[in-house]
Amino acid sequence: MTKAHQHACLECDLLITMPRTISHRTNVHCPRCNHKIAIGHNNAKQYVLAMSVTALILMFIACTFSFISFSSNGQARTINLLQTSTELYSQEYYFVSFLVLSFIVLLPTLYLLSVCLIILNTYQRSHIFPSAKLGRLMSYILPWSMAEVFLIGVLVALIKVVDMADVSLAPSFWAYVIFAPLFTHIASIVDNHRLWSWIDNAK
Amino acid sequence: MPNRQAEFANVAPQTAANNGLVNCAVCHQLASIEVRHCKRCGSALSSRIKNSIQISLSLLITSVLLYIPANIYPIMRTELLGDETKSTIIGGVILFLKHESYFIAAVIFIASVIVPMAKMFAIGWLCYSALSTKKIQYYELTKLYRLTEFIGKWSMVDVFVVAILVALIQLGGLMSIHIGFAATAFAGVVILTMISAHQFDTRILWDKVESE
Repeated sequence: MTKAHQHACLECDLLITMPRTISHRTNVHCPRCNHKIAIGHNNAKQYVLAMSVTALILMFIACTFSFISFSSNGQARTINLLQTSTELYSQEYYFVSFLVLSFIVLLPTLYLLSVCLIILNTYQRSHIFPSAKLGRLMSYILPWSMAEVFLIGVLVALIKVVDMADVSLAPSFWAYVIFAPLFTHIASIVDNHRLWSWIDNAK
Repeated sequence: MPNRQAEFANVAPQTAANNGLVNCAVCHQLASIEVRHCKRCGSALSSRIKNSIQISLSLLITSVLLYIPANIYPIMRTELLGDETKSTIIGGVILFLKHESYFIAAVIFIASVIVPMAKMFAIGWLCYSALSTKKIQYYELTKLYRLTEFIGKWSMVDVFVVAILVALIQLGGLMSIHIGFAATAFAGVVILTMISAHQFDTRILWDKVESE
């Protein structure tokens, strides 16, 4: 009954016949409500895989090296990225600590790992994780990945403390500065239409 | 796009719902209306989000209530050589205005006052429009909804700023910063308004095109 190329707009439920090919870097919008449905990319699979692996490496660097160091009146302190969460944990604000850790590290990493596994599943027959479950997981976690918001937060915090003390930026900071826009870029290319066609191909 | 609605005014819109189809909210695959679970991804199917407006409104009211402690209680305590100062969200903004750092004052004010308030008003207005029987501006309301979803996570900036400051500035008796209860309340506000916006189903607005 349903045709493969028919699509209902998520925001206004209008039935749309999807074009067979979408040219490179052009968006497909719903004709009635202008909701962005898909984005064209000629080489999306390899591109997204490469970018996701890059982003995962950057996240690894961001988590292992020191983030920012701060010194005032002879006293110095260096923190790593995870301490933004663990310090809140030690002050017994478990809820906020958990949120910060998930929003800035766990969920973006999980998203990237899922997208990598889904792409790898299209190449090989044996699947470690079922693609459909990963796809569902990705659609749940995407709204909660806040890498770019955290980046703005870091910049605001830096402007706040820069008058009080000497602040120096460590490798992990720069890794995160590249990671956050990269993540947003990947998420914008992996639209639902493309993601689920990969998942269909994996079967 | 001003002619967008005129274009569709005289044509009966072909939607999934009036073609006996249901759209999967997770993987966007169409299925027949009798099907309960999506064949592709296994999530439960329903033509519209069930009790969408009620859920949105109840979460909205909860977040409005939580916004009160978020503003009354201090978001952080600064200990400077034994002196302790507590600062609320608004207090922080005023402090920056006094120090003439207008840029940070503006960022904090926009992220933690204007954005959450705008979001709450927007969701309230969307729910009101969905319930009202008068003619509504579908396209503009959908745009408002998109804006609400987009700005949703940006109010977390304030919580992140506090998290970084708390981690960074721990110099024992010299200077240290502790987090306050308002941060928990404020994070709650952000999360609840995000879920509330997510639960709102814009297709309910567009269903009114047919009933006109």
